[in-house]
Amino acid sequence: MAATRALARLATTRTALRPAVLSRGFASVTDTHARDPVSKTAEKIVPDPARKPTPESKTSTVKEPEPAKDAKIKSFHIYRWNPDEPTSKPRMQTYTLDLNKTGPMMLDALIRIKNEMDPTLTFRRSCREGICGSCAMNIDGVNTLACLCRIPTDTAKASRIYPLPHMFIVKDLVPDMTLFYKQYRSIKPYLQRDTPPPDGREYRQSKAERKKLDGLYECILCACCSTSCPSYWWNQEEYLGPAVLLQSYRWIADSRDEKKAERQDALNNSMSLYRCHTILNCSRTCPKGLNPALAIAEIKKSMAFT
Amino acid sequence: MASIMRPGLLRQGLQSPAASQRMFSTITSSSIRQTSPLVQKLRPALARSAIPKSTRIAAFHATQRQQILPPLPQKIKGTLNDPTPIPDPAPVHGSYHWSFERLVAVGLVPLTLAPFAAGSLNPVMDSILCALLVVHSHIGFESCIIDYIPKPRIPVARSLAMWALRIGTITLGVALYSFETNDVGITEAVTRLWHA
Repeated sequence: MAATRALARLATTRTALRPAVLSRGFASVTDTHARDPVSKTAEKIVPDPARKPTPESKTSTVKEPEPAKDAKIKSFHIYRWNPDEPTSKPRMQTYTLDLNKTGPMMLDALIRIKNEMDPTLTFRRSCREGICGSCAMNIDGVNTLACLCRIPTDTAKASRIYPLPHMFIVKDLVPDMTLFYKQYRSIKPYLQRDTPPPDGREYRQSKAERKKLDGLYECILCACCSTSCPSYWWNQEEYLGPAVLLQSYRWIADSRDEKKAERQDALNNSMSLYRCHTILNCSRTCPKGLNPALAIAEIKKSMAFT
Repeated sequence: MASIMRPGLLRQGLQSPAASQRMFSTITSSSIRQTSPLVQKLRPALARSAIPKSTRIAAFHATQRQQILPPLPQKIKGTLNDPTPIPDPAPVHGSYHWSFERLVAVGLVPLTLAPFAAGSLNPVMDSILCALLVVHSHIGFESCIIDYIPKPRIPVARSLAMWALRIGTITLGVALYSFETNDVGITEAVTRLWHA
């Protein structure tokens, strides 16, 4: 034992011959890095492939071009990743904006940044009024449409903007929606009928039948709900996700549609529908105030004991 | 011992950044590939001679990361305009399974409350409670396995987990059966523990 201690003391004594780095492996009170796991040292050299973005504290800040005297400066940390540099890590870029010169919504802030400060910032937007569903992104931890999300006026707190979580990223705030749209296509989102209308003119509905579609037809497929669902995160390839299931229920509930049984059969397996565990993130996050979880529950109920 | 030494050796590698980058060129796609072919041919030899052999080996080991199911690159099956494949209807794993699961869960509520309310120790009730408990926990764990061990990606792990679950469920069933027949039974056991 004593010999071991003596050896250890010898090993930790720094001599001119022994480089200081070699003593790192031994526990020490002063050298806090000595207790770092090996992986942490490795991270500095080979970054993790499933890596977190470089934090905003380590990137530059783009400032408001000409701040006025009574400027209300708020900073926005925005996720940036450029596919042209595939080996570089994603990073959080900070932009400071004068809220007096910016519109009230997050999308206004993004457009102002793109127009006046950094034209390389990339995001989807179209209608700026919550009808197209293009500008879905994760703002301050909540999936929402940037055009429907007010900028919090509290300038002390910074806002953080990320793309939709657990999606493949095309660039900056643009996620790849290919799989989502392919899933939407798989539920056949159109009226399926074989019989012609009785009076030969149009397919009529009663007011009660039409009322069933309220809360379903408003969905704009922004994918906010699907990408907030942990079940969809883990099993994206097989589970359809709340948005697509809500759309599926929109056609199951439609009185004019005649392929209800086929539509239900397409969902009747362990993965497509029943990976929903009523987590209810979808209903909480929906920027249009719809209730995808209720639609999924209705599908399950209509298929139960049959 | 090697694990203690590794980080120190890594840092030594860090002191010359160019060398360290080349050192890991087998792992990451480093900048070497972008240079001209002649330089490409010459450089590895130079790099190797610049770094001591032990460093190279140690660094290689230290940077191996073991992640649990890291995301793979995206793969789109078919063209962009094809729908995702629709699975064949399997109500045994779908609607029947769901209905059965709910029945069991709902049935457990009165079965758990009845002994408190009635205070009776009916062995039939006891055995039904045990059976439903076993089925309920089996379904719950099975759901976890389906969620977290994706079959297309790791089929072996999935079947291993499923078999482990089946063995566990059977063991639990046998254990509860013997507890019911040879010992006091689950309701009585809870009563005694409560009063203990």
